[in-house]
Amino acid sequence: MLLALPHGLSFSQQEILVFLTINVLLVASYRLLTLTGEWSLGHVVIMGVGAYASALYSKHFGVPVPVSMALGAGTAALIAMFLSYPLFRMKGFYFLIGSFAAGEIIRLLWKRFRDPFGGPKGLKRIEPMPDFDLGIWQFDFFEPVCYYYFALAVVAFCLWLMWRIERSHVGLTFHAVHWQDKLAEAAGVNVRAYRTLAFVIASGFAGLSGALLAHYIGTINPNSFDVEMMVFVLTWAIVGGTTTFYGPILGCIVLTILNEIVLREMGFEQARPLIYGLVLIASILFLPKGLESVVQRLVRPRAEKMEERP
Amino acid sequence: MFRKFGLSMFSRRRFLGDALAAMGAASASGLTTRVLASEKMIKIGFLAPLTGPVAAWGKPGLDGCQIWAEWINAAGGVKLADGNYTVEFVGYDNEYDPAKARTGATKLVREDGVKFIMMLGGDTWPGAQPVADKTGMLFSTLLPSDLGPDTGTLLAPAEVHPIYNVTGVEWLAENKPDLKTAVMCAQDDALGLPSVATYLAAFEAAGIEMQDAPLLFDPATTDFAPVVTKLLSTNPQIVCLDTCYSDYVHPIAEQLFQQGYEGQIISCTADFYDQMIEKTSVEFMEGFVFQFPDFDDPALNADGINFANPNKFFEEYNKRHPGEWGAVSWEYAAIMDLWKAAAEKAGSAEPDAVLAAMKEGGKGLHAFGEADWWGKDLFGIDNALVGNWPVVVIEGGKARIKGFKSIPEWYAKHGDLLKKHMAAYGQMWDQRA
Repeated sequence: MLLALPHGLSFSQQEILVFLTINVLLVASYRLLTLTGEWSLGHVVIMGVGAYASALYSKHFGVPVPVSMALGAGTAALIAMFLSYPLFRMKGFYFLIGSFAAGEIIRLLWKRFRDPFGGPKGLKRIEPMPDFDLGIWQFDFFEPVCYYYFALAVVAFCLWLMWRIERSHVGLTFHAVHWQDKLAEAAGVNVRAYRTLAFVIASGFAGLSGALLAHYIGTINPNSFDVEMMVFVLTWAIVGGTTTFYGPILGCIVLTILNEIVLREMGFEQARPLIYGLVLIASILFLPKGLESVVQRLVRPRAEKMEERP
Repeated sequence: MFRKFGLSMFSRRRFLGDALAAMGAASASGLTTRVLASEKMIKIGFLAPLTGPVAAWGKPGLDGCQIWAEWINAAGGVKLADGNYTVEFVGYDNEYDPAKARTGATKLVREDGVKFIMMLGGDTWPGAQPVADKTGMLFSTLLPSDLGPDTGTLLAPAEVHPIYNVTGVEWLAENKPDLKTAVMCAQDDALGLPSVATYLAAFEAAGIEMQDAPLLFDPATTDFAPVVTKLLSTNPQIVCLDTCYSDYVHPIAEQLFQQGYEGQIISCTADFYDQMIEKTSVEFMEGFVFQFPDFDDPALNADGINFANPNKFFEEYNKRHPGEWGAVSWEYAAIMDLWKAAAEKAGSAEPDAVLAAMKEGGKGLHAFGEADWWGKDLFGIDNALVGNWPVVVIEGGKARIKGFKSIPEWYAKHGDLLKKHMAAYGQMWDQRA
């Protein structure tokens, strides 16, 4: 269905689908970070680190774009590892504020150093994914459908990896660190190391989402990764719910479709922030456990019926 | 008790009812951007921030365009070779985000079939640029620093920001020759920096000494007390507010007032200056120099002004959107005047035909008089329409045009200074990342 999806959409909806696919990776990586119980306000900036790094590797060193994307993800993970030393001296609310401060420092560095980051105007004319021809299929990555397939393959692989991580011994330890950190520590688990590990892995995936974005739109600037974008990520996670793997993804998909397609098509171009805000308030009032609770309500009775059958 | 009270005040039914009412009100109050269609119609794209912090330089422009379209359609529309066409604007809110600008440009070109797209530009132009390059669509920007030789279909036909700022400084030097020292502050972004370079060149050309390097503040700044304190520490005769957004101009002016400044203020814009007067005083704002007139100004009725019925336009705008007149309220409509004249001259609305007709002879009818297609020196391409620009001064609480100054004449004398400062701030077209 996902392969056929873009062909049923208009051109602009195909564009939105590309950004949605990239944002799914971003919000899924954010959930991986929250598994250890820490909520960061710097995740979007880490996405930006991947975007800037990948753009600079390809622009200044001539690294092929797919390789520069992987290197961008690695750079984001590396920066996250450095940040983890001061940040994981803090917990809870203090970590939240600390992560915001760390992110702002990085954003200010992008603004301050015009060389190589381009200052407030950022980077332009970033190398696009090179087109290629497979005989029957020509891939022109300016076209949203082609880039969507590429992004879909990358994001699907990353989601599979994250799924495997969560279900592995490491993932179970992340949960233990979140819900029973004292007990886990007493059992010999290095809580700080596992928090760092979740932070670094999540940052690597966020960096990759930034690289995917940079090489598609061809321009990035510090404002692309500001706190407003972070609020969107938080909103997707909260409205979707974070207890299941699919919760934040569901939140991202539903809210993006609502904001970018439904409200625009209904002619509420300028009233979107107002309506979007009302929908958020309504969802928190009426769905405090997120959209995932609706899915669970729909799925559970069926599962129970299946179990009752002889 | 509390729960009971809360529930009685805010039931789900009431919440949903209120929400639907708000949506209905938003729709009914004209927040949608489409106008009624007719059979022979040309669609024009409006790709600018309509919500968010930069909306003040998008939404008032669309509001002005709606008035323009109603007047033009009532007068028979655009007269092309195969008949008359009405004009409809299709708006897309890019939220000043390059990714959304790309999506919007794609929608407007490939789905809505527009013949021309107007943008604010700045951070959003690089997002739309690949669409322009691939499709050959004609675009306009208000920020000529977007121009470059790579995209021949991008024009800056209304506003040559920030070059026109030189006219305010030139007027100040001629009319208040005793003012010899200045300081400047600006937000450190794509809009602030080229303007800083321009003001530095203008002050140097006018023999006005900068007492300190321009104070660049982060766009996230909300407390301007320290900024103003630092500005005033050298006791300057002129405080220049560069091209600050109105969200900065207002608090900075308020701080200047509160910290007892009594000298000259010069700024690119003074949007909603009546609110600034309310926060300070008529006396404090007296003599404030900026660049964007109210269109009820009698000076706009002079010969050579090409904007049709400026006083009536201002009156109608204020009737529909009271208190919302700003720097861009007339600019997009002025671009449409140029576009209409070119389309009628070409007999076609096709982008390449309109572009050729618009630039024919190297001259065009700018809102403030005949102007030249210019800019190769600064932008690498002659796609900016440059001529006279008004200098506006607040007198007795009202903005009044004090004269029109020629930008090309200033540039002929001091162009090297401008290039020097633009290069120092990395703003020449070949220096952009």
